[in-house]
Amino acid sequence: MGKSSKDKRDIYYRRAKEQGWRARSAFKLLQLNDEFQLFNGVKRVVDLCAAPGSWSQVLSRELYQNQNQKDAKIVAVDLQPMTPIEGVTTIQADITHPKTLQSILEIFGGEPADFVCSDGAPDVTGLHDLDEYIQAQLILSALQLTTCILKPGGSFVAKIFRGRDIDLLYSQLGYLFDKVICAKPRSSRGTSLEAFIVCLGYKPRSGWNPTLELNKSTEEFFEDANIGKSYNLQHFELPDPEERKIAKFIACGDLNDGDSDATYTIDIDSTVKGLDPVQMPTAPPYKKALEMKRRGDLVRR
Amino acid sequence: MTLEDRFNPISSLNESQLTPLNHYGPVTALKIHNEYVLAGNGSILKVFKVDQNSKTTLIFNKQVLKRNKIHNISISPSRKYVIINGGRSFVVLDFKILISNNLDQFAIIEKAVNEWIITAEFISDDILLILNSHNTVYKLDVSSPDQHFKLLDKIHCNEKSILYSGSITKISDEKVIIAAGTVMNGCIIWELNSKTILHNLTEHEGSIFGVKVDSEGKYIISCSDDRSIKLYDFESGHLFATGWGHGSRIWNLSFFKDTTNGVKIMSAGEDCTLRIWKYIPNQETLQQLELWEDAHRGKHIWSADIDDTNLKVCVSGGADGKIRLHDLSNRGQLTNYNLSFISEQCKIAFKKKEVIKSFTELEQLNLLILVTSGGSIILVDQIHNKFKSVDLSLDEHQKLDGFGLIQSFSDINVVTICSVHGDLLFLKFTDFDSEPTKSWIDDSILGKNKVTNFMVASKPNSNLHYLFIDCPNPRIPFILREFKFDEGIFELQRILLLEQPNQTSFTTTSMSIDFTNNWLFVASRYVSLAAYDLNTTKLESIPLSALHKKISAGDSITSISIIESKENEITLLTIVRDGIYMYIKFDQHFKMSIVHKNHISRGFIEGGYLKDNELILYGFKSSAFYIWNETRQLEITNVLCGGANRLWKVIKYSTGLPLDYKFLFINKSELNIFEFKGRFIDDRFGLINDGTHGREIRDVSISPSLFTDNSRLIMSASEDTTLNLSKLYQDGAVKNIWNINRHVSGLQRIKFLNDTYVASSAANEEFYIWKLDTFNKNIPLVVEYAKLAPSIENPDVRIMDFASIPLKEGFLIATGYSNSDIKLWYFNTETAKFELLVSDTYSTFCILNIDILTFDDKIYIQTTTTDGFFSIFEASEAIESQSLKVPGFDRVIIKQELHQNAVKAVFLKKINENHFKVFTGGDDNALVLSEIIYDGSLNFKTLSFVEDAASSTITSISEGIDETIIVTSVDQILRKWSYKGDSLQCASAVYTTIADTGCSDSTTFNNEKLIVAAGAGLSSWKI
Repeated sequence: MGKSSKDKRDIYYRRAKEQGWRARSAFKLLQLNDEFQLFNGVKRVVDLCAAPGSWSQVLSRELYQNQNQKDAKIVAVDLQPMTPIEGVTTIQADITHPKTLQSILEIFGGEPADFVCSDGAPDVTGLHDLDEYIQAQLILSALQLTTCILKPGGSFVAKIFRGRDIDLLYSQLGYLFDKVICAKPRSSRGTSLEAFIVCLGYKPRSGWNPTLELNKSTEEFFEDANIGKSYNLQHFELPDPEERKIAKFIACGDLNDGDSDATYTIDIDSTVKGLDPVQMPTAPPYKKALEMKRRGDLVRR
Repeated sequence: MTLEDRFNPISSLNESQLTPLNHYGPVTALKIHNEYVLAGNGSILKVFKVDQNSKTTLIFNKQVLKRNKIHNISISPSRKYVIINGGRSFVVLDFKILISNNLDQFAIIEKAVNEWIITAEFISDDILLILNSHNTVYKLDVSSPDQHFKLLDKIHCNEKSILYSGSITKISDEKVIIAAGTVMNGCIIWELNSKTILHNLTEHEGSIFGVKVDSEGKYIISCSDDRSIKLYDFESGHLFATGWGHGSRIWNLSFFKDTTNGVKIMSAGEDCTLRIWKYIPNQETLQQLELWEDAHRGKHIWSADIDDTNLKVCVSGGADGKIRLHDLSNRGQLTNYNLSFISEQCKIAFKKKEVIKSFTELEQLNLLILVTSGGSIILVDQIHNKFKSVDLSLDEHQKLDGFGLIQSFSDINVVTICSVHGDLLFLKFTDFDSEPTKSWIDDSILGKNKVTNFMVASKPNSNLHYLFIDCPNPRIPFILREFKFDEGIFELQRILLLEQPNQTSFTTTSMSIDFTNNWLFVASRYVSLAAYDLNTTKLESIPLSALHKKISAGDSITSISIIESKENEITLLTIVRDGIYMYIKFDQHFKMSIVHKNHISRGFIEGGYLKDNELILYGFKSSAFYIWNETRQLEITNVLCGGANRLWKVIKYSTGLPLDYKFLFINKSELNIFEFKGRFIDDRFGLINDGTHGREIRDVSISPSLFTDNSRLIMSASEDTTLNLSKLYQDGAVKNIWNINRHVSGLQRIKFLNDTYVASSAANEEFYIWKLDTFNKNIPLVVEYAKLAPSIENPDVRIMDFASIPLKEGFLIATGYSNSDIKLWYFNTETAKFELLVSDTYSTFCILNIDILTFDDKIYIQTTTTDGFFSIFEASEAIESQSLKVPGFDRVIIKQELHQNAVKAVFLKKINENHFKVFTGGDDNALVLSEIIYDGSLNFKTLSFVEDAASSTITSISEGIDETIIVTSVDQILRKWSYKGDSLQCASAVYTTIADTGCSDSTTFNNEKLIVAAGAGLSSWKI
């Protein structure tokens, strides 16, 4: 698909380019905020799996410009390097590492976060069960850091794939938050499994002291949290049934915002046609194979 | 929170009300063990036994895991147990009972750990190691007869990176190696007992999808995101070599057991290729020895295994659900002879630039007969590799000098060579050593004209043979000679002269005679066909009965053959070089109808034939010659020959002979003979498990009435632009007949309009109407009948859905678009033309579903859209409108918000002419029951609403039985909802292993209701 054809297909892609967002996903956070007022009274925010940085851009604009909170603190964490954003401290680090937590706490001056969000997703393989498992691991990684840093009453938002076991996650999050909602912004395509888990009102588990440790898996981390996760039984019996819950679904964003599934007619004379994407993709792992193919080094046999 | 609240009540409920029948979906695990192939087909374990004659039998077929797909299969050292694991769960089965085909003895007890299992392996018959996704190994004692497995140890190496892949290799009792392929940190190779990391191999970029250690602990191999495979020294961790060639991610790899000729590796991946590599010491790239392309449909070979020592096969499993055996023992035999060798053997001196110009085979005698440009005839004894030349007089030599076309009549051991001016030399052979009996029939018709083509045919079960000669002068008729072969003598019966088509260049390429009706067909370049009625012999020459010019796109018809012959009707298989094949019917007036047409994108097709109703095609793709089974979508063999521009001949042998195919070709003046015996050709071509599309299925539709053999036709449309025409049987089996490649954009919908017409819609405004027909009683055929012209030159709008109602001589068709347009068409089935009747726009929202309703002879259009609305428009006045401008709808009758956002699924149940129940399901997990009542005006009322009807998007609704509907959703639960008393109640909920569950259709066989649900695979269920 050429650049201008993608422009036409997707109104949010076009709008992101026009408005200077690094990715169209900026609108997802904006629409989530419209529905849930996530940014109200928020001073310290952690943006996990932040690259290329569109959510940090939204946070920066919201906290500094719109709310004029000079002392707000935004930390963006990702394994990939990120182009700097005004008012955002970027950390290139692993979100499961205790040092990362330490760095964030230092930036926050030892104060807890008001809001943690994550728009992260792995490269999908196409094996749905595996992809959903890896995504769940990513969410749990974000959640373990969240439980170490989020203030009671704070909120957590993360990208989910609404696949076969999503009700397990809804149930587990229900132990940690007052409200767990599955939200679908109108800017998220209807054809995609993507949605966002909006967790409001963090309530730390009594008697559980979450601590990030090196070489502790996410399962081990939550082992004592008692959040309805099934653990290994005496003779490895299959836990059946498992605790599952359907979270309330809320579609968010105004109907007039635009439909990400619709094809829009664009004005041919429009000056924005064929704009380059704001952030180019980073070097893929198969870069060398592509180069070899281009040179004709990949002979058929 | 009450205890009840903690469980999802509609995750599993009354499961017995929905019985799974057949499943076609990704094959995620394969294991060859002795003569058995064990396969994980979703949650189902299948065991196949391969016997000594290479025949494969399915001996076990049962779902062994409740929800998870099988990702690994492993067998204990002395075959006591087999472990099958997937996701977090596993089962340990008694191997002997498993292969004893004694299903009833089976107690399958599913077990689980709390993490994703990467792999599992026995280190003794009773001790099982399980590697989880955080690089931790559970050591289990599984010897307890009541399966009370005991945890002996939990072992890790202090590096709990998250893994994508891994393997466990026992090198000795003391030395067990864990090879862990991480998502981000390379390969970690560690030793179990000492818990020490031996190597952290970081040469790859990206995630590691496979890493293995050979059984002797000498080498490590790995494959990854970066499209390469790597071989390392186990001891030092030093990288030996890298293999490049895969076009996308590589999912798995295996060592060959036999290392006597060096280290060999098999790999398979996302690009649907299976490759074999060899390590040449001190070379930094692995050498690719073998490549199986298009081994599966669509994308992904998810699983593969190899046994190079015993069964000598590779096995591959795709996202298409197919399991294929690939023979390693015989990949074909290629022999070649250069001209000087041949000249030496024959003791004749070739002239300068003399080359082989024509050849054929007498298979009963195992003889090849070559004609050279110098007019020599050379005999090749293929058994003893002997060569000799046939004695010819000087005069005979001269007749054949520079030109001699040879054809054979294999069953009578006769060859005929046609000279440049049409003189015919007959040679009857008895063996290599004896001189052939020679006779000439000189031509009296051509005069000085030159022959361009010489073709032959024989009447089955008779002694009549036909020789056809074509010369480029259109005034000279085609010459057809009928010979009788009696007691070793060729006797000319009659000469028929066929009027050439009156056009400048009717260059014949193929000929076929129908002996039922006595018709003859000739094909030519420019995709033209000429037909002759050979019964009209009273005239001096037989007139042309029909000429059909340019019957399809492309340059040249390469082959025609009669595949069905009835009185006054024949079916002609017609192959066009550019990749098109057609089934063409002719009636007694030689009126032609193309009843089946499809194209393949595999280079050139040179010919084809039917083998047990399966279509086999052959041709050239870049520098190789290939033989392809179009019905099963698999390559039978291929050979590098230098490409299409050469002299070649393919010979196919009947079943039971030691050879299946011989391919003769000239490359660089050398004679090449490629002989191929397909080890699995007689057993489903090695396709031991059937499948479906190799990509997500977007829609399915089942034919309204039963097909001739008590099956129903089922069509499916995939996101990769392919359509499948298959048969659905009462037992839920789906047999794929055709794979149609006409669409170029991702498909949205497919629907039967009636028993004869089917329509499909896709992105870029693609909309096709297909016409169905039948061949050989039970084989459905399909041909493109009409295509809706896009509204603009570069369309980018998707046709999301369509609907139709039958009208006199056609259909009223409604199309709904992603840009919110709605159009109404009249499609005339006589003219195959569309007429736009109404065009309007809903808003800016994408149309998801569209239907046509009629009340009181008035026409209404119903839509659902991404904004959550259900709407009905009246269209009668607009349809009747005589205005030149295409009108919009008359008025909006109903516009009701039913869901928070996209209304993905809608099903209208007709109660009576004026009353419909409306079921809608949305992206918002909700299911709504409403009704439409017509009492002079339309009334809409919502009756029942279930907010949490699924834990994810509801994607389709199909009709059930006894006031029920069947609902699919992306949470992979199939639910049966009752609507008795206008109240929606979940009656049954069953997990399906089909991910991305996106569509369904239901049908009835002898009062039994069947549902087919599809997504990443397809499954059938009895309600």
